[in-house]
Amino acid sequence: MKILKKFDHNTLSLLGMYVVVLVAMLILNPSGYYSALNIRSMFYLFPEYGVLTFGMMLCMISGGIDLSLVGIANLSGVVAAYIMVHMGGTEAGAGAIILAIVAALLVGAVCGCFNGFLIGYVKIPPMLVTLCGLQLYTGLAMVITTGPGITGLPQGYISIANGTFAGMPYTFPIFAIVTLVVAFVLKSTTYGQKVYFLGSNAEASRYSGINNLKVIITTYLISGVLGSISGILSSSHYGSGKSNYNTSYTLLSLLIVVLGGVHPDGGKGKVIGVTLAIVLLQLISSAFSILRIDTVITDLVYGAILIIALIITNVSASRAAKAKK
Amino acid sequence: MKSIKWKEVLTSNQMFIIYIIAILSLAIGMKNSAFFDFSTVITLSRALLVTLCFAICEMVVIISGGIDVSFPAVACAALYIPVKVMTDAEIDNVFLAFLFAAVIGLVVGIVNAILISILKIPPLIATLGVSSMTSGALLTFFGTREISRIPESVSALSKVFILNYTNASGATYSLTVFILVPIILCIAVHLILRYTMLGRGIFAIGGDQNAARIAGFNVIRLQFIVYIFSGVMAGIAGMIYCILCDSANPLNLMGSEMMIIAAVVVGGTRITGGHGSVSGTILGVILIALIQNNLIMLGVPTYWQTFVVGAVIVIGTSITSLKAKAVEQNQKV
Repeated sequence: MKILKKFDHNTLSLLGMYVVVLVAMLILNPSGYYSALNIRSMFYLFPEYGVLTFGMMLCMISGGIDLSLVGIANLSGVVAAYIMVHMGGTEAGAGAIILAIVAALLVGAVCGCFNGFLIGYVKIPPMLVTLCGLQLYTGLAMVITTGPGITGLPQGYISIANGTFAGMPYTFPIFAIVTLVVAFVLKSTTYGQKVYFLGSNAEASRYSGINNLKVIITTYLISGVLGSISGILSSSHYGSGKSNYNTSYTLLSLLIVVLGGVHPDGGKGKVIGVTLAIVLLQLISSAFSILRIDTVITDLVYGAILIIALIITNVSASRAAKAKK
Repeated sequence: MKSIKWKEVLTSNQMFIIYIIAILSLAIGMKNSAFFDFSTVITLSRALLVTLCFAICEMVVIISGGIDVSFPAVACAALYIPVKVMTDAEIDNVFLAFLFAAVIGLVVGIVNAILISILKIPPLIATLGVSSMTSGALLTFFGTREISRIPESVSALSKVFILNYTNASGATYSLTVFILVPIILCIAVHLILRYTMLGRGIFAIGGDQNAARIAGFNVIRLQFIVYIFSGVMAGIAGMIYCILCDSANPLNLMGSEMMIIAAVVVGGTRITGGHGSVSGTILGVILIALIQNNLIMLGVPTYWQTFVVGAVIVIGTSITSLKAKAVEQNQKV
C-alpha cells in the first residue's frame, strides 16, 4: 500500500488502463500483440508524437495551448528536406544532414518565438495565435514544396527514424533524452517553477516580479523546438518532407496531455503522467491495428476518451474543492 | 445631438476591411477586366453562401465567450446521414431532409452545451472532442463513399433560381434561392443581438460570465441557446451545401473551421468574447472569399493560399489587439 500512496490519483488510473489494455490483448490476440515485431514497431512510433506532446504540455501548464505544433513539425521537416535535396540529394554527406537538422531546429525556435511574441507582447489569446500559426506554417511549407512532398533524402537522414542499434530504434533514446530534459527543466530550474506560477495565476506572477513575457516566449520557443524534433523524426520516417503529414497529432497531443493529468486551465501537470499517457495511447493504437479495426474508428475512440477524461478530471476537481470546504 | 464622427468612422476596423476589399478588387480587376461584371457578384455570393451561415453561428458562439470547432463535422453528418438514409429507404421529401439535418445539429449542439455549460470543460477542447467523435461515428457507421445521386425532390431545389443574368458574351449566371437563407439569418441575428434581452445576455456572458450571472442572466440557459443555435444552423447549412454540390460527401467540409474562424475574427469579433457585429462578419467573409477565389486571377499560385489567409488573420488580429492595448494604457493616465 505504501507504494500505491506514492502515486497520485491520475497515475493510478493510467496504470489501471494499462492493465485493462494489456489483459484484453492477452485474451484477444496474444501472439500478434506480444510478438517482438509489434513491440519493436511500437518503439518506432510513439517518440514521433511523444516529443511533440511535451511541447503541448509545456504550453498548457503555462496556461496556454499550442495548436501550431503540427505546422511547425511539417515546416521543419520540409526545410530540412529542401536543404538536403539542394545539397546533393541522396548523395548528400554528413555535413548537409547536420546543417539540415540545425536549420530545422532553428525553424522551430523562430516559429515558437513568433508565437510567444504574439501571445506575450501583442496579447492575442494563445488559442488564436497558434491556430493562425498552424495555418501560417503549413502555408509556408506548402509554398516551399508547391504541393507534393520533397523526396530523395540521403540514407543517413532516413535512418534516424528507421535505423536500429542492437535491435533498439534510435528514436527511443531521442525520446528518453527529451523526456528527461523536460522533466529536469520543469522540476529543477527556476524557469520551470515560473511556468507553473504563470499557469496558475498570470496576474499574481507578474506582481511577484516574474517577467511573464520572457517566460511565455521561452515556453513557446521550447515547444517549437520540440515540434521541430518531431518534424525531423516524421520526415525521416516517411523519407520525405510534406506540408500535411500527421494532421491528427493536434487532437492526439491534446488528448494525451489531458489524459496525463495536465489541467486545461494551466498550473498543473507532471512529466510522469504525460509520459505514461503517451505510451498508453501507443498501446491502444497498436491494439487497434493488431485487431484490424478500421482506422476511422480511432477518431471516434480518441474523441470519446478525451471527453471522458475531461469529465473525470473536472468532476474529481470539483469534489476535492467541496471536500475542502 | 447625435453627430457622426467622421474620423472615427473612417478609421474603424470595418472601414479597414472595406479598404482592403476595395484595393483587392481593383487589383484583380486590373489584371482581369472580366472581374468587374455583375456575374462576379453572383459567383461570389454562391461561393460564400454556406460560409456565411457558418460564420454567423461561429460569431454568436465567440461573442458568448466560447468557440465551436465542431460545426464542419456537424455539417458533414447532417448532410450525409439524411441523404444516405433517404436513398436507402427510398424516401423523397425535402422537408424531411432539412428536419433530419436540423435534428442532428440539435443533438450535437445539446452535447456541446452540456459539456461546456454544466461540466465546465473548456469550449475549444470540448468541441474538438465532439467534432472528432461525430466525424468518427459518421465514417464508422455510415461509410465514406460519396453519394452522387441524392433524392430527386431534394436535388431539384438546386435548380430553383431567383435571378438570372446573361452577360455580354452570352453566358448565363443564376442566383440560387438559397441566398435568402443567409440574408434572413443575418437580419434576424442582427436584430436579436442588438434589440432583445437574449442578445444583450449573449454579449453579457461573453464580456464577464460572473458579472452576467450576478446581473440576473441565466448563464447556462444562454449557453444552451447559443450552442444549440450553432448546431442546428450548421446542420441546415450542411444540407444546403449538399444540395448546391448535388452530391453528398462525408469529408468535403472537414477542415473548413479555420477559414470560418478567420473570417469572423478578421470581421472584428474579439476572440475573448463580448464584442462583434453581423456587418463586420459579413465583410470578413467577403474578404476571405475574395482571397480564396481570386488569388489565381492575380497570378498568385494556389499553394500560396493557406499562407496568405494565415497572414491576413495574424495582421488583422494584431491590429485589433494593439489598438485594444493602446486604449487600455491611455485609460490609466
